[in-house]
Amino acid sequence: MNLNDYQNEFNKLIARQSFSSNLYPFRKDTFHKFLDSGLPTKKWEDWKHTDLSFLNKNIFRISETHDALSDSIDVSKYKIKNTYTAVIVNGHYIESKSELPQELKILTNSEKKNWTPKNKKETPFDLLNTSLCDSNISIVTKPNTVIKKPIHILFLCSGKDNLMINPQVNIDIMASSSATIIEQYVSDTSSFFQNTSVFASLGKNSSLYHIRIHSNSDETANISNLYVSQRDDSTYNYFQLVDGGALQRSDIYTDLKGKNATCSLSGLTLLDKKQHSATYITSDHIMPHCVSSQNFKSVLSGNSSGVFNGRTIVRQDSQKTDSKQSNKNLLLSDQAIMNSNPQLEIYADDVKCAHGSTTGALDSEALFYMQSRGINRKDAISLLIRGFVSELLNGIENEELKNHLFVKFDKWLLNNNQ
Amino acid sequence: MLEIKNLHVEVEGKQILNGIDLHVKAGEMHAIMGLNGSGKSTLSNAITGRENYNVTKGDIIYKNESILEMEPNKRALAGIFMSFQYPTVIPGVNNTYFLRAAVNAKRKYNEQKEYDAASFLKFVKSKLQEVEMDSKYLKRAVNEGFSGGEKKRNEMLQLLCLEPELAIMDETDSGLDIDALKIISKGINNYKNKNRSFLVITHYQRLLKYIEPDVVHVLIDGKIIKSGGKELALELEEKGYSWLES
Repeated sequence: MNLNDYQNEFNKLIARQSFSSNLYPFRKDTFHKFLDSGLPTKKWEDWKHTDLSFLNKNIFRISETHDALSDSIDVSKYKIKNTYTAVIVNGHYIESKSELPQELKILTNSEKKNWTPKNKKETPFDLLNTSLCDSNISIVTKPNTVIKKPIHILFLCSGKDNLMINPQVNIDIMASSSATIIEQYVSDTSSFFQNTSVFASLGKNSSLYHIRIHSNSDETANISNLYVSQRDDSTYNYFQLVDGGALQRSDIYTDLKGKNATCSLSGLTLLDKKQHSATYITSDHIMPHCVSSQNFKSVLSGNSSGVFNGRTIVRQDSQKTDSKQSNKNLLLSDQAIMNSNPQLEIYADDVKCAHGSTTGALDSEALFYMQSRGINRKDAISLLIRGFVSELLNGIENEELKNHLFVKFDKWLLNNNQ
Repeated sequence: MLEIKNLHVEVEGKQILNGIDLHVKAGEMHAIMGLNGSGKSTLSNAITGRENYNVTKGDIIYKNESILEMEPNKRALAGIFMSFQYPTVIPGVNNTYFLRAAVNAKRKYNEQKEYDAASFLKFVKSKLQEVEMDSKYLKRAVNEGFSGGEKKRNEMLQLLCLEPELAIMDETDSGLDIDALKIISKGINNYKNKNRSFLVITHYQRLLKYIEPDVVHVLIDGKIIKSGGKELALELEEKGYSWLES
């Protein structure tokens, strides 16, 4: 897909009557910026390990109303027990398949006439998302509200055509409120491209537990930008599981804009075949007395490749910052590649910061130890990999969600330890 | 039980064992003594089938069968156990879970019903008492955060659970305080019977105060140069190894 193809899709979108006309100049301006920059290439520092040829060699079209497939789609197999569900099929919110709590204000495409896409940063995929955004969901809690049951936002791509979907998700957790949100990306299509932007804003003393599951089919590209902004005494907990997709990229920006805020980011990536997954994080300590952590692990087999690029910035006034970064990677094949790059940028003097990174093969000593106790090699390998990932999965408090993720891990393991 | 014939072993291209002959009968306890680098650990690793320990000549016969082509886990299932000199730490793998996997592998091999979590816990608790080990160690990852003595007790616990017929104790006394040494020795003495054999590998005579070997072998430069009764150990303690070196 070249820039002309993107232009054609943009022309189709802009011709739609459903958007407010005052959005037109903004979209057009944004799209021109995208055309000027073009898609990233390997010459760009933050993109040197990510091969975007999947996007270049496939042609995608934007999703139309008839792609909603409201009646024919079966979402039951993707549901997670004891959760509220918002179902989005090929970029369209399907109200009939969704069930959401009363305490929430949900804004979807029906309110689109008054809605303006956000544009935090001007990276090519942000610009593309803003200019081509055709669906959005906003989740706004009331202040002082605890929503116990997790809210599951299910993004499902289905059908035969190569679709390009640019959704935006806005999450506003108001002061002294808390919620758990699960974003899950699944697909049964042969090929598609999803470019998502998520904006989460945490009010004073609020908390958000945010889980993201990338389980797309093999021929998919999933790019996502996540922006988190935190006020005083707020707690943000993020966990991502990546176990699908040909190309998966997460860019995460967290701004600690209030004192005493806590931001914990963690993730597990399970890759095989020729999959590529990259996680780029920027945690910005703007205010003092905040705690941040990054704890990411990957298991790579086949010819897969991964990137962890975690950057923590501690600004001059952010005294008493406590920040940790850890990235551990397990390579199951000689062909798998991992690029790990934890970075600290510290401009304050009274802070506690630590980072570490390890990448290696299975521990042959541990394997022999287990075998010498009668455990066969295959089972010993499974035990070791399970041991490696369970620290992260056991950290998930919600039991049903934890089980859901362990089932996914076991399935992956079964395919990758034969 | 175990018959080692003219065993030559090479590690990373370096010849370590130069023709070991050893015959351990059922119910016997043999001690192998020698200085660092004499090949003691190489011998135990060769018997248990560790990778990169290449047998270039000779044979290891266990229960009348050559085991050279057997995978390490098959050797274990056949009844060979090694208490490691440096037990491996396995982060993330729960000690109970690991132990149950090992015991169930053995039970499956013996065509016995595998333990479920509850019945295994009952089984393992009785064994814990024998090695005077706190049950909190079952909840940790394998050997993670264990002191030297705790690691060796955990090895002994595994031995008691897996019930091997040939137990190789590789430098079990190293890193042990006197109380732990007594507990481990008691465990060995209680476990030994007419069908179970021990091969005790040690640098010092210390352990042999508490357990009584039937035969003591002295290993120097990859060869057994002298064998004798337990008095040989006392002689070594007194004179050192130098009088045996040519």
